[in-house]
Amino acid sequence: MNDVIAEIRRDYIYGLAKRSERADGRALDEYRPIQVEVGLIGKAEGSARVKIGNTQVLVGVKVQPGEPFPDAPDTGVIITNVELVPLASPSFEPGPPDENAIELARVVDRGVRESGAIDLSQLTLPDGKVWLIFIDVHVLDHDGNLMDAAALGALAALVNAKKPCERYGYGPDAPLPIKESPIAVTAVDLDGEIMLDPSLDEETIASSRITVISGLQGALAGMQKSGTGTLSVEEIARIVKLASSKAMQIRDDLFGGSTDG
Amino acid sequence: MKKQEKLDKTIVVPGDLLSEDATKAAEGTYVENEKVYSLIYGLADEREKVRVIPLSGKYLPAIGDVVIGMVSDISFSNWKVDINSPYEALMHISEDPRRIESSEMAKIMGVGDLAIFKVVDVDPSMKIELAPREGQLRVLRSGRIVEVSYTKVPRVIGRAGSMISLLKSKLDVNIFVGKNGRIWINGKAEDEDLAVEVIKRIEQEAHTSGLTDRITKLLEEEKHGVHEKR
Amino acid sequence: MEFMKNGKRIDDRLPNELRPIKFEVGPLERADGSCYVEHGGNKIIAAVYGPRAVHPRHLQEANRAIIRYRYNMASFSVEERRRPGPDRRSIEISKVSREAIDPVIIKEFYPRSTIDIFVEILQADAGTRSAGINAASVALADAGVPMRGLISSCAVGKVDDTVVLDLVKEEDNYGQADMPVAMDVRTGEVTLLQMDGHLTLDEFEQALELGKIGCASIAEMQREALIQKYRGEEDE
Repeated sequence: MNDVIAEIRRDYIYGLAKRSERADGRALDEYRPIQVEVGLIGKAEGSARVKIGNTQVLVGVKVQPGEPFPDAPDTGVIITNVELVPLASPSFEPGPPDENAIELARVVDRGVRESGAIDLSQLTLPDGKVWLIFIDVHVLDHDGNLMDAAALGALAALVNAKKPCERYGYGPDAPLPIKESPIAVTAVDLDGEIMLDPSLDEETIASSRITVISGLQGALAGMQKSGTGTLSVEEIARIVKLASSKAMQIRDDLFGGSTDG
Repeated sequence: MKKQEKLDKTIVVPGDLLSEDATKAAEGTYVENEKVYSLIYGLADEREKVRVIPLSGKYLPAIGDVVIGMVSDISFSNWKVDINSPYEALMHISEDPRRIESSEMAKIMGVGDLAIFKVVDVDPSMKIELAPREGQLRVLRSGRIVEVSYTKVPRVIGRAGSMISLLKSKLDVNIFVGKNGRIWINGKAEDEDLAVEVIKRIEQEAHTSGLTDRITKLLEEEKHGVHEKR
Repeated sequence: MEFMKNGKRIDDRLPNELRPIKFEVGPLERADGSCYVEHGGNKIIAAVYGPRAVHPRHLQEANRAIIRYRYNMASFSVEERRRPGPDRRSIEISKVSREAIDPVIIKEFYPRSTIDIFVEILQADAGTRSAGINAASVALADAGVPMRGLISSCAVGKVDDTVVLDLVKEEDNYGQADMPVAMDVRTGEVTLLQMDGHLTLDEFEQALELGKIGCASIAEMQREALIQKYRGEEDE
């Protein structure tokens, strides 16, 4: 019942889209207010809470020594998980991650990994162990665009994180070797109109959603199309350009051009 | 600058003692050992009876209520209607004066369509039956729907309809307020936007005094001042 | 380990002192009611959905609402990263917590429905089930659920042969007894009682008395938080 959107609402949103307008008055490429707060979970080695409008996610980064993968003995390990806990939305049910949670986790992971945000070769430890980095995204309030919030939270939490070297006898604590700054920008296609940072309704109504993750120089580190609609090559090219420049803007606004969180 | 809004009633929480006189107990309260206590988080209103007005909660339909419902499913001869309540309501095809075949139901009213209904029956297990408010089923095709907590509906309507009359006099729109908190607004686009804004404001400030004056002022300013397009 | 020194505990508190507690009502948009609590180092968020339709339908009860409670710990909430999902401890805590709050809810008002309570432990620092119950009570009130009263909870225990209120992590792990308790403070009815450790009958009575006092203080804070939410002394 939560998934049925009133026709009248659908018509209203499409009607506005045709005039390049949106229900909450935003411009097509405008984000809702973004708030990032770091370090709130002291027990985690790194943490960040991200709000995009009313959407809220909490990301905890745990860093612990552990065994590397047998085929990559000199490489640190990143494990990303997203919990769509039932308190965040009437449509989330308790249980193991469903396909949506898994997709979110894998895309966030790809963004971090493929952008080279963390230099995994610098995570080795003297005794043959490596640092394991757990990125756990705990969604608290779902009001659309969980992807961008989760990705941003992951980045902010990683920048905030410290390797707990002292606790394990590896010397003084130190930040993680962060080399890049992947920012995800999600767009939806509403009857040919492209909008960034979809609200809950826009996301539910749109037939396709596409996320573009780009780094400091604007190079692409990840992409994901979601949903059963189709997009033309021109539309995709347009979206990628728009998303890439938007990511720069978001990065500047939040991190002042660098990622010295 | 801190703005203190005057509350015209006292906020109470479940278990708060309201009166030592059990005969005064009314809605939102319960009696234990001859004393009256609050059942809910709300505003205590004490006159000849003591009642607590809820600040939140789910709409429970009563016979006679007029509501705005949305079709969520169509079964053999019933439309299943979401009336923003823990309970789904049903409207049987025979409630519409026209002779409708089961196969035509989706054409008359499909999933996602809204209409104004009246509640004709509620049984003890909360099985709810609806009929069109009057005459035939008419789908609401244009305009906007705004949802507020059902607890704020009296405030949106106002004493003797004063608030709703105020809105209709200043704005070029039709407004229908469903008892279930769903409100339909239909008219000139900018006025629809303003109506939505005003209704949301009423919802937020429902429990404060001086609201009618503030809304009147807001409407004057927006209509006659520079109405900035966002 | 020495727990008591000059009448003070390892975190400098007196035996009958609660840790600092802060409640925030209604921080979430989607949930029908919500409450965030910080209790010592605990950071916990509770949310309520309901009454709402029950799925799967066979779980519904003809004459009243069912109550469901899910206590869950975030992976990053504890020192060593925890695998997500319910473990046996979470399941037990969910059960006793549900049974702590169920008695005050007027379920008969909502036949064939469910009231779902979700408690997420974002950071754990001993006494999570009590803090969760406190937040859940406030979230239920915020959601407009009719109740006879709020349920308040705290843990009492014993360290160095002294009965103490609101155990901190080390006291919980290495002390002599741990006893979470929950009650409707107004009526004095106990709705949750668990004990783990060693207490003489005398010590138990002392502990229960101390628990009552602790719960009473917490009830005041829960009430105050709900009232503050609507006091309207904030900028729009």
